[in-house]
Amino acid sequence: MRIRHRGLKVLPTALLVSQRSGQQLFAVSLSPLLEQAAMSWTVPLVRASQRVSSAGANFLCLRMALCPRQAVHIPLQGAWLFTSVSKMATVKSELIERFTSEEPVHHSKVSIIGTGSVGMACAISILLKGLIDELALVDLDEGKLKGETMDLQHGSSFTKMPNIVCSKDYFVTANSNLVIITAGARQEKGETRLNLVQRNVAIFKLMISNIVQHSPHCKLIIVSNPVDILSYVAWKLSAFPKNRVIGSGCNLDTARFRFLIGQKLGIHSESCHGWILGEHGDSSVPVWSGVNIAGVPLKDLNSDIGTDKDPEQWKNVHEEVIATAYEIIKMKGYTSWAIGLSVADLTESILKNLRRTHPVSTIIKGLYGIDEEVFLSIPCILGENGITNLIKIKLTPEEEARLKKSAKTLWEIQKELKI
Amino acid sequence: MSTVKEQLIEKLIEDDKNSQCKITVVGTGAVGMACAISILLKDLADELALVDVASDKLKGEMMDLQHGSLFFSTSKITSGKDYSVSANSRIVIVTAGARQQEGETRLALVQRNVTIMKSIIPAIVHYSPDCKILVVSNPVDILTYVVWKISGLPITRVIGSGCNLDSARFRYLIGEKLGVHPTSCHGWIIGEHGDSSVPLWSGVNVAGVALKTLDPKLGTDSDKEHWKNIHKQVIQSAYEIIKLKGYTSWAIGLSVMDLVGSILKNLRRVHPVSTMVKGLYGIKEEIFLSIPCVLGRNGVSDVVKINLNPEEEALFKKSAETLWNIQKDLIF
Repeated sequence: MRIRHRGLKVLPTALLVSQRSGQQLFAVSLSPLLEQAAMSWTVPLVRASQRVSSAGANFLCLRMALCPRQAVHIPLQGAWLFTSVSKMATVKSELIERFTSEEPVHHSKVSIIGTGSVGMACAISILLKGLIDELALVDLDEGKLKGETMDLQHGSSFTKMPNIVCSKDYFVTANSNLVIITAGARQEKGETRLNLVQRNVAIFKLMISNIVQHSPHCKLIIVSNPVDILSYVAWKLSAFPKNRVIGSGCNLDTARFRFLIGQKLGIHSESCHGWILGEHGDSSVPVWSGVNIAGVPLKDLNSDIGTDKDPEQWKNVHEEVIATAYEIIKMKGYTSWAIGLSVADLTESILKNLRRTHPVSTIIKGLYGIDEEVFLSIPCILGENGITNLIKIKLTPEEEARLKKSAKTLWEIQKELKI
Repeated sequence: MSTVKEQLIEKLIEDDKNSQCKITVVGTGAVGMACAISILLKDLADELALVDVASDKLKGEMMDLQHGSLFFSTSKITSGKDYSVSANSRIVIVTAGARQQEGETRLALVQRNVTIMKSIIPAIVHYSPDCKILVVSNPVDILTYVVWKISGLPITRVIGSGCNLDSARFRYLIGEKLGVHPTSCHGWIIGEHGDSSVPLWSGVNVAGVALKTLDPKLGTDSDKEHWKNIHKQVIQSAYEIIKLKGYTSWAIGLSVMDLVGSILKNLRRVHPVSTMVKGLYGIKEEIFLSIPCVLGRNGVSDVVKINLNPEEEALFKKSAETLWNIQKDLIF
């Protein structure tokens, strides 16, 4: 909140005094200050007056006499005190002179909902990539939330980012550029997918309305599973335009795919291109026609690639992508690092308006003969407005059929949801 | 019948499997993994090896990191229970060790950790005789001494993470109090990493302005602004975070990444880390405590000779005494 000062009235007085004291430069440097909020310059003036002649001190008394009311409007920020009202000086007030009352505006604020392993892996990856100037964390478990926040704050000398806030309350997420949702119910033993999703709808209802209220222009990245359905739910509940609701979808599956292809060929995953699309999980679709190194499609070298007839059984690479997620969960209890890194990758594209292509989950109705209002992963261009374009990737009849099948399965569940 | 690989790629020369900058992390708990992810995101290593006794957790963590390969530049991530995976490491980060049980004395905990270090350190040194060992496990000052004794390495190559984190916390809290970025607030905490650490109030400054010249009572009990509480908060924060989330990980992981960066890139930055202080400040025993050290490719290459006032020196010596009382009863 700024306190506007009726500066011009006092300006002549300032010049007058400084002329008398012969400090012309002093007056010139003061005038910009005079146009700002009152309190921001009265203390600097006190300090300045301590350095110049007694004429400066007289000026202050004159100033105070003109606007005695101003003395009451003390911005209580930290240990900041107004020296001429109270004689107590703090180290801060002795050390630092206020120069502006303009509050900083954070341009790259990200909020992460859920401080479990996935949420925190997203947080540390984003911090270490230096993508943001403010981070807000939200969770229901206040103890864990506070502990995680403090832990990140204590490392701020190394990440160069100390602005980390947290609360159970969504007000901390206000004015986020991007909100990452990792929270949600976990599948219980013997629970049906429909039941799990219905429970998550209830959780999302509260979450989404709060997020939208505080950051009506943000982009949403949905990570919680089942991600395609929950992206649809988030889109419906938020009433956001479709470009601003992005499911992390097959970004991770594709990263795993490229890593495994790289291992098989002895080449870094970055140079191995391949896309997994459709439903994130067991029925994802590897697009074998697109798999290439240096523009050479592997299908040209092995026309049976990805089929059962393939003597090299490249199909296993895709099967491994699906299996490894379960394997990691079995071994360490959950997955975190890879998904965190993949979300940071999406975050980078959005915050820096990179317009890179990523396989993320978006509304697919109208494409590939799909009539249902479902979210599936296809290659999208990500920029500051979220999903700005889609890549019209050509699929084989078989690949298209698989996407249609996924759409039907997802719709079977979605149509039963009470949103 | 040729494979896709054979058709696609023509080999010119064998792949050079020797890494130039290998780091091993011993212990894949929260701290070890926080060190690992920070090191990967900062592109400090071209090979990362993980070692632990719990094979499933170890493999799961390794795979999880490997699946993120697309997003960083460390091309080789390996793991194993056997220390052969750690061969030819430049730096070995030791985060493994027993946690204090309820009601357990510090001495008992340390003795258990001596046993663990005896099983870890000889293998590490055998496979990477030229490495620097960075000790993180607590109580870090005593364990750095233990690791040094067992390893037979020169003191320059056995470094305790020490007060690097305490000082970072100190700077963060000073920054919050002043509304200044922590990297522009300078302040050093030395001595024991823990309850008896020593804050050097005379050195606390912003832009070269020593806060003590603005308030001579800074850090004393009669200081009306209670700056002393900041140091208390630094000590308490570890316990507080443990109470809230069960353990601390991110800050220590980041602080280790900071030290590794200085060592691998031969930056010669100054860090408060735990090193052998016998002969300094009137200390006669073989004690490891944190003092400002210059870190480079050889490890601790120099130490900064800080002038301690009588009170600070007394606190420092008291730390040394406390540690020696425990160390002297250890059985190797």
